[in-house]
Parts: sequence; structure tokens; C-alpha cells
Amino acid sequence: MGTYQKNLPTTLNKELEHRFVTELENNQNIVHKVCSLYTNDRDSHKDLFQEITIQLWKAYPKFRGDAKFSTWMYRVALNTAITLYRKSKKRVQTQDYDSVIFRIKADEYDDTQEKQLKLMYNAIKQLGDIDKALVFLYLEDKDYSEISETLGITEVNARVKMNRVKNKLRTILNP
Amino acid sequence: MDELELLKKDWQNKEVNLPKLSYDDIYKMIWKKSSSMVKWIFYISIIEFVFWAALNIISSDPQYMQNLKAMHIYNVMMVLNFINYGIILYFIFKFYMNYRKISVTDSSRNLMKAILKVKRTVTQYVWFNLIIFATSIIISLYGVLIYSDEGKEIVEVAIQQGNEMTFWFLIIALSLLFTGVLLVVIWLFYKVLYGILLKRLKENYTELRKLEV
Repeated sequence: MGTYQKNLPTTLNKELEHRFVTELENNQNIVHKVCSLYTNDRDSHKDLFQEITIQLWKAYPKFRGDAKFSTWMYRVALNTAITLYRKSKKRVQTQDYDSVIFRIKADEYDDTQEKQLKLMYNAIKQLGDIDKALVFLYLEDKDYSEISETLGITEVNARVKMNRVKNKLRTILNP
Repeated sequence: MDELELLKKDWQNKEVNLPKLSYDDIYKMIWKKSSSMVKWIFYISIIEFVFWAALNIISSDPQYMQNLKAMHIYNVMMVLNFINYGIILYFIFKFYMNYRKISVTDSSRNLMKAILKVKRTVTQYVWFNLIIFATSIIISLYGVLIYSDEGKEIVEVAIQQGNEMTFWFLIIALSLLFTGVLLVVIWLFYKVLYGILLKRLKENYTELRKLEV
């Protein structure tokens, strides 16, 4: 872990740390959003955030800056959530999702639109890991070329899959 | 407006509700230990490696070598050992290459593929060890029965009683059964161990691969 960083002279190392932490601090919303989709409670949210941060830091020396820091983050954050992160036993599936992003005060649910949205968020939480990733990238307004590159499938396949997920969600919303 | 567009808008407005970590919070995080799956697979494969190598070294003491010479299977066992170490070197190289290929910045599909490849190499390594192990058992058994004093006695008694064929048949059947049971137990152990570790990864990988068809 971080062996590359450890071998650098101290001043360079400090500079790298500083640059990384600052960039992550400014872009932390992306990581929080991934965590809120893939976990159901505060503790797991924190765990996953921690793991994504470690993976980002480990990969940082190879980040060349030819892509935007945020674009690079999407990939590492999603890969960690889908591929590397192991859910621990305490994470029990419940209907009452308590993840940070979906917590809205009760009185906000008065109108039907808000109710629909809550239904939708609950539906997303029940999707598989890959479907979640697709929905996440869609909600983040990413184009199909970026989606296909992140997941490692062709653009056509990304489109097909996305349409399926969208229809699934629409059906849930308009039964 | 489409419901999904509505959702997208809502999603982007949600940013205000997100937690906010300070510079110091994040700084502390980068020095924490990873608990990623790759790390666990790595630890397991190291333990595997040490276990089989240790078994090999422990069983090769001088007394054992003398016994092998007495049983006239020394040469065969040495050749087997030679092959063994050659293949172990190959596996060390392969383990190293596999780990280097795991990159979190790769596409999800390639990342999963790389991790599953590591698992495959570990499985191959274990199977290879089991085969070497079983072969050594069979050769030793042969040596003991043909050349050792106790073995000769047993065979003689069997011949005197007139059922030499049955005797050899039993010996072969028993040693096959023994190695068979051993292989199944170890196979089950790995099935459970990696099954737990890789279940979700495998499901996701299959889902991505299905799209290619």
C-alpha cells in the first residue's frame, strides 16, 4: 500500500499528499453519492468511503492528469463499490433505507411527486450492482461512451442495458 | 416531463444533503489499511504457497532421503522434486504478473477478469500440489511394499495365503480411495473459501459478460 509514495523524498511526498487530499476534499460528493447507492446505513457508508479513499490514494501516483480528476474518480469509486468492496455481515437488507442521500424530512413527502421520487429511490436501491452503476452514471449525466468505458462493455450494449433498467424503473413508478 | 428526467434533477439537487468531510478527516483516511477483496485473496494465496512449500521442506529431511535410497525410489522422487520446484517457480512468476495486472483504474469488466484470473492461478497451484502429493504417496507405497523388510513380509504372507491378486487389488483400491477422499476434502475447502470471497464478483462478471453475446 502506498509503497510508491513511501519511496519518494519527503517534500515531494508531502506535496503529493496535499494535492490528493485537496482534490478529494473538493470532489468528495461523487464518492458520497456512490456510497449512498451501495450501502444502507451510516457505518457502511463510512466504510465504503474509507475503502474508496484508500484505492484512490493507491492509484493516485499513476493519475497523469490527462483526464479530469473527477472523471478518474468515478471509475475508481465504482470499481471499488462493485468489485473490491466486501459487504460485512452486519449490513442487513431492510426496507427502510437509511442511507444519507435518501433521508428527507417527513413533511417533504406531502405531494405525489415527492412520493414518486421516494418510490424511485427505493427501487434503485434494490437493483443489482451493475444496474446501480448504470443508473448512477445516468443520473450523473454521463454520456454512453464514458459509461461503456467505465464498465468495459460496448456503447451499444450500454444503451441496451440502460434502456432495460429505465423501463424497469418506469414500471415500478407507474404500476 | 419524463419521470427519469425529474429524478435526475432531484438527484443533482440532493448534493446539499451530502455529508462533508474535512481535509483532516480525509488525510487520516489515506493511511488506514485497505480491506479490499484483492488483499484477502493475496493473503490466502501467500498462506497457500508457504503451506505447500513448508510441507515439501519438512518431508525432505536426510533420514527420509536414506529411506528413499533404501527403497530404490530415490531417483524417481528426486525427478519429481525437480519438476516440483520448476513448476513452483513458474507459479511465483504467474502470481506476480497477475497481481500487477489488477488495476482499479481499469474498466470494471477487466478488473473483475484480472481478479478471477488470480483465483484461477491459486486453484491451479493447489491442484498441482495435490497431484504431486498423491503421486509421492503412491510411489512411496510402492517402495515400501516392494523393498522394505516389513513390506516384503506382508507381501509374502499374502502370497502364501494364495490370494496375491486380491491383495494387490485391495492395495490399489485403498490408495486410490485415500487420495480420492483427500482430493475431495481439499476441493470442498477451496470451493467454500473462494465461494464466499468471490460470489458477488462472479455474479457481476457474468452479468457483464452476458451483454457481449
